[in-house]
Amino acid sequence: MSKPTAHTNRAADTPSRPPIGRASLQRDIIIAGVAVAALILLRVIWPSPAITDFTIRVAAYAIFATSLNLLVGYAGMVSFGHGMFFGFGAYCFGLVMQRLALPIPIAILITITATAALALVVGAICIRLKDIYFSFITLAFQMLIYSLIVAWVPLTGGDQGLQGGIPRPSFLGINLATPLHLYIFAIVMLALSLLVMRHIAESSFGYTLRMIRDNMERASFLGINVYLVRLIAFMVAGVFASLGGVVMALFVSGAYPEFSNWTMSGEGIFMIMMGGISTFIGPTAGAIILSLLNDVVTRRTEHHGLALGIVILVFALGLKKGVTDFAADWWRASGDSKGGKQAAEARP
Amino acid sequence: MFSKHKALDRRSVIKGAATSAAALLATPHIAGAQAKVIKIGMPTILSGRVAQLGTSSRNAVMMEVEKINAQGGLAGRTIEVVVRDSKGQPQEAARVSRELINTDGCEILIDAEASSGSFAVQEVVKDLGVLCIHTCSETSSLTADPKIRVPNAFRVCRQGIHDSIAGGEYAAKISLAKGLKTWATCSPDYAYGRDSTQLFVEYLKLFNPAVEVTTETWPKLFQPDYTEVITKLLQAKPQALYSCLWGGDLTSWIDQASIYAMFGQMEVFAINMADYTALTVVKNLPKGIHSGNRYIKTFPKTERNAKYGDAYRAKYNEYPTNWSWENAAAMQFLAAASKKANSADGKQIAEALRGLKIESEFGQDGTMTMRAEDQTVIGYAIGWGTTIAQEPYVPEITAGNWAKILELETAWKKKSGYL
Repeated sequence: MSKPTAHTNRAADTPSRPPIGRASLQRDIIIAGVAVAALILLRVIWPSPAITDFTIRVAAYAIFATSLNLLVGYAGMVSFGHGMFFGFGAYCFGLVMQRLALPIPIAILITITATAALALVVGAICIRLKDIYFSFITLAFQMLIYSLIVAWVPLTGGDQGLQGGIPRPSFLGINLATPLHLYIFAIVMLALSLLVMRHIAESSFGYTLRMIRDNMERASFLGINVYLVRLIAFMVAGVFASLGGVVMALFVSGAYPEFSNWTMSGEGIFMIMMGGISTFIGPTAGAIILSLLNDVVTRRTEHHGLALGIVILVFALGLKKGVTDFAADWWRASGDSKGGKQAAEARP
Repeated sequence: MFSKHKALDRRSVIKGAATSAAALLATPHIAGAQAKVIKIGMPTILSGRVAQLGTSSRNAVMMEVEKINAQGGLAGRTIEVVVRDSKGQPQEAARVSRELINTDGCEILIDAEASSGSFAVQEVVKDLGVLCIHTCSETSSLTADPKIRVPNAFRVCRQGIHDSIAGGEYAAKISLAKGLKTWATCSPDYAYGRDSTQLFVEYLKLFNPAVEVTTETWPKLFQPDYTEVITKLLQAKPQALYSCLWGGDLTSWIDQASIYAMFGQMEVFAINMADYTALTVVKNLPKGIHSGNRYIKTFPKTERNAKYGDAYRAKYNEYPTNWSWENAAAMQFLAAASKKANSADGKQIAEALRGLKIESEFGQDGTMTMRAEDQTVIGYAIGWGTTIAQEPYVPEITAGNWAKILELETAWKKKSGYL
């Protein structure tokens, strides 16, 4: 957006930091590895189906929300139609598995390729527009995809969704029909997706995105092909959203038009808003918070819409920041004060 | 932001978060500890435009549970029903179903979801092997298609194919008697609307080949304004009209069409009219609309059925809906199967359910059967009649011919590749 809001200005801001280096990448790989190991250990120690289900769902939503944040937070492209790629990924994967019976990794590769092609076509049109016009044309495309899914009954099952379950044949000794394997698969997918997206966000490409977000005209005058960079960002975000859809399709063993509805895009925005836009991990935190809230509130009351609405209003109007934004502020303040105290103590 | 001494330090925040998380995650394991109680989970829709599906399903289940518990429960185990709202989203239906089984310890599911939700629940019970009875999904393929069918899932509700055959036969008789050759359709534009209409027309033509459909209209689901649709129908001047609009859509359409005096200009066959959800809401119910029965206490015309309708109304201050009888019947089947198996175990109940015949106020002849071959209910009350403006709304209903329905259903299954 040419005139970014206070939120987008803050988005993932570390302007003085240089692009990610080998050491930073190694650190991120170690953090991801430790997180995956910890989650696997948690499942081994505590084989609760509830935690397993929750984690798989959160993994799907976290990939989706982080991919949306690549557009919203880093590129200043507020897409209202990102759910189309989540739904498209779920349907593409489900149809390939049902009709072609290919191995799961091949089906995922086909899904990635098909989503990239879709994002290329949609993006080529959408990114010509800016600001609210961009937001609304993405919403229009989303509704087009949604309508197509509902109307193309012989292929998609229409509003009933893909029926008959998605086959999950074993590959490389991994059987995704078992909860444990699906759990590990989901968190590995999440970790890998976050790693790659983080690497992209911290690369020179990521900083180019920030520059375009903050001042598109200046970036253009500096010789950057703004159209191409925005198009690539749109495609990358779309591909990762489709991976979220794949994880969800594996979890529910189906695909439904609701995956491509505008409400899915809305939930992605809520996740980013609640988790925080200024940290890379914010959308993941948002996915956890929104899923937890949804589960807890739905268990307690039938008026969950009211309860969730109030919480979202509190975040939007009251806090005006996500949870990790506050955590990051506190961490920095705490670090500064500790550093100051240590410096004072070291003083002769 | 924080003062130096009173502020939370990082370590205490992390400790606090870990303790809270542990407490939160441990909560589910407290559930389901009482072996004497058997928990039945019920994913359904309690919010949004079709919330009445969930509330009337829940009411019916609770009413039957009271009776079953008063007689000792399922094989001596008291039933506790856990109801969850899926918000009409299939992925949420899958989630709450898993939660009901995995977290709440439910041993049986009464799936009161609309169609797409039921297919999602079907996949969950396929994975988890829990006994499930679908009570609201009328999509025939759920149990007819062997690729979708699972041994631990049953259906106790209407089926689209049954309604279409019964409706086609009834409408053909009327059309032959009154010479109604040109027909129009007006059905909601989604899978149920299109499937139901296509099958109705197919069987109408089978019984009366002279029929010709000249106009089709497909209003959107939950469309507020039907002016365009109504004027198109009036311009087409068909002799008869078929509609499978339902609930609020049906009542809005009737109220708006009444302004144009549409019902005096053609014979109208509205399959979902004879349900109290529509009958009691329409401002001026036109006389002479042909309708299939959904739930109406005058059909079957038995004391037991009338008593059920009145008891439900006395308890909940409204008449039962079509979803109510379906859910009540599911509980009746469950209780009878548990009694037959002398067990509350899902697998043994499932075994007892196959081929089980029970006495019920909702049966055409006072009985209903759980057909073993596809684990779906047959013999429920099915028929057509015409409306009047006041109670009993549809005074006389012509019963459908179950022998004919089953014969044509078999042919349809063969044609669809299910047999």
